Amino acid sequence: MKSIRTYLLFSLLAIITLVTFFSVLHGYQSSIAKAEQLFDERLQHLAEIIAITNQDREPRQEDSSAHSSSVFFEIWSSELDLLVYSHNAPMEFLTSTENKESFKNVNFNGYRWRSFTLYDQRLDRWIVTGERIDIRYGLAENIVTASIIPIVLAIPIAGFIIWWAIGLGLKPLKTLAIQLSNKEADDLSAVALNESPQELTQLVTTINALLRRLTSAFLREQRFSADAAHELRTPISALKVQIHNLQQKNKYDENELKPLAAGIERMAYVIEQILSLYRHSPEQGLVQKTKVDLCAIAQQVIAGNYESFSEKNQNISLNSESDFMLQANTFAIETLIHNLVMNASKYTHEQGDILLTIRNADSVIQLVVEDSGIGIPETELDRVFERFYRVAGDRHASGMLGCGLGLAIVKHIVDLHGAKIKLEQSVELGGLKVIIDFPRDEI
Amino acid sequence: MSYYIRYFAFLCLLITASVSAATPIIEIEIRDHLFYPSEVEVPIDTKVKLIIINQDPTAEEFESYELNREKVIPGMSKGIIFIGPLPAGEYPFFGEFFPKTAQGKVIVK
Amino acid sequence: MLINSVILILREVLEAALIVSVFLALSQKLQLSKRWLMPALLFGFATAAIYALNIQVISQAFEGVGQEIVNASLQVVIFGCIALFVFFIKNAQNHKRIAFIMMCCVSMAVTREGAEIIIYIQGLIAIPELRSPVLIGSIIGAGIGISAGVFFYYLIASLSFKNGLRLGLFLLILIAGGMIMQASQLLIQADLISSQQALWNSSSFLNERSLTGQLLYALIGYEATPAPIQVYMYICSLFIMITLTVRTLNHFKQREII
Repeated sequence: MKSIRTYLLFSLLAIITLVTFFSVLHGYQSSIAKAEQLFDERLQHLAEIIAITNQDREPRQEDSSAHSSSVFFEIWSSELDLLVYSHNAPMEFLTSTENKESFKNVNFNGYRWRSFTLYDQRLDRWIVTGERIDIRYGLAENIVTASIIPIVLAIPIAGFIIWWAIGLGLKPLKTLAIQLSNKEADDLSAVALNESPQELTQLVTTINALLRRLTSAFLREQRFSADAAHELRTPISALKVQIHNLQQKNKYDENELKPLAAGIERMAYVIEQILSLYRHSPEQGLVQKTKVDLCAIAQQVIAGNYESFSEKNQNISLNSESDFMLQANTFAIETLIHNLVMNASKYTHEQGDILLTIRNADSVIQLVVEDSGIGIPETELDRVFERFYRVAGDRHASGMLGCGLGLAIVKHIVDLHGAKIKLEQSVELGGLKVIIDFPRDEI
Repeated sequence: MSYYIRYFAFLCLLITASVSAATPIIEIEIRDHLFYPSEVEVPIDTKVKLIIINQDPTAEEFESYELNREKVIPGMSKGIIFIGPLPAGEYPFFGEFFPKTAQGKVIVK
Repeated sequence: MLINSVILILREVLEAALIVSVFLALSQKLQLSKRWLMPALLFGFATAAIYALNIQVISQAFEGVGQEIVNASLQVVIFGCIALFVFFIKNAQNHKRIAFIMMCCVSMAVTREGAEIIIYIQGLIAIPELRSPVLIGSIIGAGIGISAGVFFYYLIASLSFKNGLRLGLFLLILIAGGMIMQASQLLIQADLISSQQALWNSSSFLNERSLTGQLLYALIGYEATPAPIQVYMYICSLFIMITLTVRTLNHFKQREII
């Protein structure tokens, strides 16, 4: 059932057609039967009239030019000698003398006739009247058919009216569908139908209740995460300062403090990531976009994190033909490239290679980040964009710290800019290859 | 598949079994959408070959519910219909295209 | 005239419409493409026209029983197609084969039913006084036949997969049985299989002449006075169809689809 409208139209029309046509046929049959009965009675009356008005007992030729050719009559003596007859009458006695009154259908003169035979007791003779079947039947049929034609013609008209009426009846549903499909991703306002029909009231109420619950849940989550992260920032900054002070004092073993410092570092990192995730959520609506130079940002990010690469002796290179201008949010693009290169660095062994490429491809600007690291198994490629998802869970082969937010944030930023992201195996370097296509019309 | 094989074997058997001896032949003509003769007599419990000759330019369909027969006879053409063996009785037939005039019956005696 | 046109057209249209609607509804249930329908109908109409134009030649072939042989062969092929359809739908990978079978079956049915309609309308339209009753009667007959098809289509389509499949296959059993019933009657008429006296006479109970009788004739090949051989072949065909259907249904049951 693809369309409610088509279904209703065809099923209703089929039912109407079946019911109407069957009743029409029933009416037709009883009308025709009634007509035949009337015609038979007429033949009978004709015979009776002849029996009373005609007194002939000897053969004579009737002047028959006045008779219509569709009716005949004849009078036979009891010895079956033809006494009187119309010019179109058969010259032989076609019926039987078994009954005193009988109807019979006979063929002669190239036509089929309905004949009636009456025994005239008064003068001991047989009176036969007859009528052409095709003519009398055609007459009856024409009358009945004339009354059927309008009913048959009414069916297509009914079809048009039903089509229109169903459309009218389904209008609220269509309006609701349009309202829902026109909703922006961040629009959680209630849908409204003026004069919503009974059948849709429950649907509209439920949708609106759902939207309300979604809005409040969404706001609560956002506020909680942002507030929590924000509230945690201050004590963590304090902790950082404290640990720095402790390290300065030389009073404690450096090796004991190091994990503590790393833990605080990681906590700070996670909180920053959570904050930036909410800053870049597509639900947040449009962020401010300006003209940014993708290359310049990439260079800036690499320079800013040079220490991390040199620490692992990793070789990072940027391959870009010219300037690539994008209509984008500078901070978001910074975060994007930062997350990608740091991810690459994190999951690439020491002395590995990381390669950034920015180039024109078809109608898009392509940003490719590939590394010689461990990559991601194909089966998990779909899941890495989920928040807090980490490949192989906490038993990550690299043994690296991470919170599983990096790629989720990347995905958010990509969606925010109407770009597309694709993960695959790097052919040149052997590790992960991240391809992001920015639409050029955003430039 | 063995069903089909059995089925067709059965069919073949019947076809060979029905090669018959001389069957009476009766001709019926159709003129002006009428059957001539409109009443035909056939012997009881005998298979009969009806040859229907249509003299009209229009086609006609020989039809009889009682005889279980149905066949289109094209205009200016003829058709063959086998009927019987039948028990005694009257078996009306009609021309389905002109049912009001083309009527007749087979009388089995 | 009108009532005769209704019955004649209805009988032909109903049979074809039933086959088409059951196949269409089952295509939907089995998630098969419905693209076979249009070519099947077009091919069917084309062959029906060829059949109707050559009716004289066909009638005279095989010593005057060509018509019976052609019609009976068409009916046996339709029966075969339906049987193959039921056999093959067990496996969705057969979808191309199934579509081809449905196409063959529908075009055969349209050929047979269409040819008679063409001969009838072509013959009677030439007579002015009969034009209006014959046309109106044909419209009513076709209207009832097509509506019944639409009704069965939506009935099967609206049922659950299990019940829809069951109803569809049940109708196919009846249609297939009817085909064999009619084919054997034609072969008796052509004296190709021997005829005996009728097994029973149920015309006082349900006359073949009546509208109900005609509907049942189209649906299950109802005969008021069947010859023993007809009954035997009818039971054989039902046996084949029921065996195939039960096997197919069991197959679906085993795969826990229904």
